[in-house]
Amino acid sequence: MPLYGTLDITRQAAHLPTLANLDTEAWALPKAEMMQLLVEVPRSSTDGLLPKAMHPALPSYVILAVTRYPESPVGPFNLAVLRLGSRAGAHPRGFLLGAVASTDAAALELRARWGIPVEQGEVKFLRRHDRIMGTVKKDGRTILDCAMINPQPVAGTDVQYINWVTAANAPLDGTTQPMLIQVDPKYTFYKAERGKPHVSAFDGKAWNAGAITLADPIVATCSTVDTDLPRIRFVMDPLKPVFQGTRRIRESRADE
Amino acid sequence: MKFGLFYEISVPRPWTPEKERTVYNNCLEQVKLADELGFEHVWAVEHHFLEEYSHCSAPELFLTACAMVTKNMQVGHGIVVCVPEFNHPIKIAEKTATLDILSGGRLHVGTGRSATWTELGGFRANPDITKKSWDEFVRCLPKMWMQETFSYQGEFWSMPERTILPKPYQKPHPPMWVAVTSPGTEIDAADRGLGSLGLSFAGFDEQEKKIREYRRRIQMCEPVGAFVNEQVATTNFLFCHEDNATGVEMGKRLGNTFNYLATQLISTREVYSSPSYQSLGLLPALRRAATGPDANEQQTEGMAYGDPARIIRAVKKWESLGVDCINFILNANEVVPQDQVMASLRLFAREVMPHFAKKPAKAQAAE
Repeated sequence: MPLYGTLDITRQAAHLPTLANLDTEAWALPKAEMMQLLVEVPRSSTDGLLPKAMHPALPSYVILAVTRYPESPVGPFNLAVLRLGSRAGAHPRGFLLGAVASTDAAALELRARWGIPVEQGEVKFLRRHDRIMGTVKKDGRTILDCAMINPQPVAGTDVQYINWVTAANAPLDGTTQPMLIQVDPKYTFYKAERGKPHVSAFDGKAWNAGAITLADPIVATCSTVDTDLPRIRFVMDPLKPVFQGTRRIRESRADE
Repeated sequence: MKFGLFYEISVPRPWTPEKERTVYNNCLEQVKLADELGFEHVWAVEHHFLEEYSHCSAPELFLTACAMVTKNMQVGHGIVVCVPEFNHPIKIAEKTATLDILSGGRLHVGTGRSATWTELGGFRANPDITKKSWDEFVRCLPKMWMQETFSYQGEFWSMPERTILPKPYQKPHPPMWVAVTSPGTEIDAADRGLGSLGLSFAGFDEQEKKIREYRRRIQMCEPVGAFVNEQVATTNFLFCHEDNATGVEMGKRLGNTFNYLATQLISTREVYSSPSYQSLGLLPALRRAATGPDANEQQTEGMAYGDPARIIRAVKKWESLGVDCINFILNANEVVPQDQVMASLRLFAREVMPHFAKKPAKAQAAE
């Protein structure tokens, strides 16, 4: 059967974000501009980064995303995230390794509500006619400098975004414990573009990504979408295959 | 209704030389028996880099071996990837002609373009243009087989005038097919006079709609070859057992294993946004089936597992929709022990085939 991750998140529980409960209210995030770069990475460099409950994607790849959220309950902010392509059972997922938000309020709320391992830093999203650029600095040091070169229009239906999985502590059955949380935003497209991904600076360690080195670029997209961060619907036991360890927290998104 | 076998050649970890060899030998043993039992086709995929799911990267070699251990079965490339980075068209024409000669004119040539990033990215192929290169390849192949000399200047490849040798044993040339997974490819098949080699496990309604449209369109086709190959084949799992519950249980295990492995593949659309891969093709259907509770009733009802009576009902339903041929997947990751695969084939031939054969099946002779 497929390979499994080897990371035991219960051993690093103290370093994980902690949620007060699993009743996070949804955030509507209209007119977000999302740039996403997909890049293949050496399989050996992802060892130990994926929870035991999940399967690695083959070939290994990461998703670098820089997003401008012009409206949110905590005001405008930019967010950069690094996700590792993977599978939760039969479903494609991006396991969130690291994130940087441009405001303290956003960083605090994203950690506390969805378990996103986010820190505050400088995140820039810049649009030019020949490229769209994303830069991230933490403690004055550039940890990501990337771009989508030569954007060309595509249909929103050409773009697929996969759902996220975060690792966090949260109360369940009377105990606060480490778990995996599915974050599954929805998207309504206004505009989508595709281009060549280019990364001129990437510091894997600063993204909790160990020794990951970027290898073969796949593609870059940039979309303007109405999106959200929804209520938490599914959590997973971090040590069991997800088809054995998934718990449904609420039935659907109908109550949002 | 014709029956065939369909091989992905799935090998479970850990991979050892003996395990790879055992799986290949098991497949050949099944093919030999199936030939004796009256199955009419054996198809083999071309896949690359698909860990556990398919170790069938050199199908022409496997199919040659199949031809050597059988007398009557047609051998089918299901499919040759018609993308220049994977296969040069001259090599396709030469290898298929050779296989047709070695098999005594029993070759069918399925064509396609690959659906996964794992493969397309592995060969550094551009997903945006695979439909176009496939179109160019399928128009060239019959000419390369039939014309004494051939030259070509196209968008994706070219060659000066040469004699491509050998020529196929079948005249004018082997039947041609296209793999139909993405919606709309059945139209591509019909418009070019190609057989529709269905590789998905969609429900009856969807299949009926596709077949109706295929039959309608092919009446007006401009065939790429010397003749129209109007045939609709579909793919299914097979596990036949005297006890229905045992048959269904093992069949589901086979199907779920296959589907779970399939869901691990990276579909092109998952990572590479392209108008050429709007649909997820085969993979989402498999994902739905793999998740068990989400599988719709028709998907379960149409599966060829259980006791002979249940399988007869499923096959009759496919027959009523206009399917000409069902190709069966017999195993995935070796979850069905080889002796049970062989017993299932024998029981199917004895109890199910006679309900569909125009002539008495050869099952009794093989018994």
